[in-house]
Amino acid sequence: MGDIIDPLEKARRGLSLSVSDLWWRYFAIGGMSSELEIEAILYQALVPTDTDHDMLAVALNERFSELGGDHPVPYTDDQVS
Amino acid sequence: MSDNSVDMFTMGLAFVGDQPLVTVVGDIDLVTASSFAGVLNGLLNDGYHTIVADLAGLTFVDARGLNVLAEVATRIAGVGGTLTVHSVPAFTRRMFGITGLSELVVFGTSAARPEDRAADDQQLRVGETDTTALAGPQRALARSSTELIDAALRLVTTLADATVENADGVSVTLERHGRLMTVAASNDEVLTMDRHQYETGEGPCLDAKALGRNFYTESLAEETRWPRFVPLALDQGIHSILSSPLMTRDRPQGALNMYSSATRAFGTRQQELAALFAKQASEILTTSAPDLTDDESNQRFGASLAARQTIHQAQGVLMARRHLTADAAIRSIFHEAREVGITVLAHAIDIVASLHPDDRRS
Repeated sequence: MGDIIDPLEKARRGLSLSVSDLWWRYFAIGGMSSELEIEAILYQALVPTDTDHDMLAVALNERFSELGGDHPVPYTDDQVS
Repeated sequence: MSDNSVDMFTMGLAFVGDQPLVTVVGDIDLVTASSFAGVLNGLLNDGYHTIVADLAGLTFVDARGLNVLAEVATRIAGVGGTLTVHSVPAFTRRMFGITGLSELVVFGTSAARPEDRAADDQQLRVGETDTTALAGPQRALARSSTELIDAALRLVTTLADATVENADGVSVTLERHGRLMTVAASNDEVLTMDRHQYETGEGPCLDAKALGRNFYTESLAEETRWPRFVPLALDQGIHSILSSPLMTRDRPQGALNMYSSATRAFGTRQQELAALFAKQASEILTTSAPDLTDDESNQRFGASLAARQTIHQAQGVLMARRHLTADAAIRSIFHEAREVGITVLAHAIDIVASLHPDDRRS
């Protein structure tokens, strides 16, 4: 598992967004975990709650939108259906 | 995330007559303090200027949590209101005293009687007379975030000095405006020791800052590094020094320095504690986003808090309107925003505005 990059981390790298900048975006939409915990989630050392996962997805997708892109990072519910 | 502080943190809001009573159970740190601050700010915005917080269930408050609390307390004091805190645990009281937060809140027991406050204040002064660097706590709580950071670093310094066996003094050195300066010191002797290093241009503190690793000298009498600085330290009766780097995003920003009059003063245990305090100080610096100016940092924090509050309000509206859980409500907002093609914040603003159809946007 450790060899596969988490889709959230892949998106973050694709956007060249620092972990700190991602955390600020996540925090602004109501995220409650610390920057260290977010880093742990990105490196798959910590499994996020569904809400935390979706908040990170939103934070990344909104950055994609700002750059003229779509919403490439799926939400937890999307993967189920 | 079972050991997440959020999991152990709960907050309650009740009204005693017209007066809001906020209860807190768990740890207040950077993450949970923003929720606490959100509730207090919300009450303040709704016109409640007299707020009571019951802290009987408070298990811990860290330096970053104190920063956020200080900001809210300052805001409440700014509108002529009072934040009364009940049942503050003894250790937390001491931290309130060290950072000057006790100057901004009223301590209550069962009722906020003026005589209680006088008694509480006296209690807070006990044992703090030696912390000369903490003079003028009100000044330390000025609204500038740099001063709040310095207050938090002074707290770390004081705690390190009290905790680490054999430490006769602890200081924090930071590079500001291109030069090294001591921003926190537990006494005047360590201040002088730091100054000797800046003036001679050498010493463990400077090396820790420059190279980003620990520098420990266990016997200055036998020390061959730093030939200009060592005699000055020995003159002052210092024999051991441990300097640990303070790092933000892998870059050394300064050092936490521990001085002792004993030789071989800092063994494995003390070095571990030093690393822990250096880490705490580093986190304070990282949180303060040193790549931004104070103004930018404050604006970013303010804007983020405002966005959070709006999104939380929208979440509350959907919970009430559609009988959803908090998680289901926030995720509805995410899905709907994506479908409509607007940001989550814009959608939250629309939801909140729908409560007041008269002043709806566009």
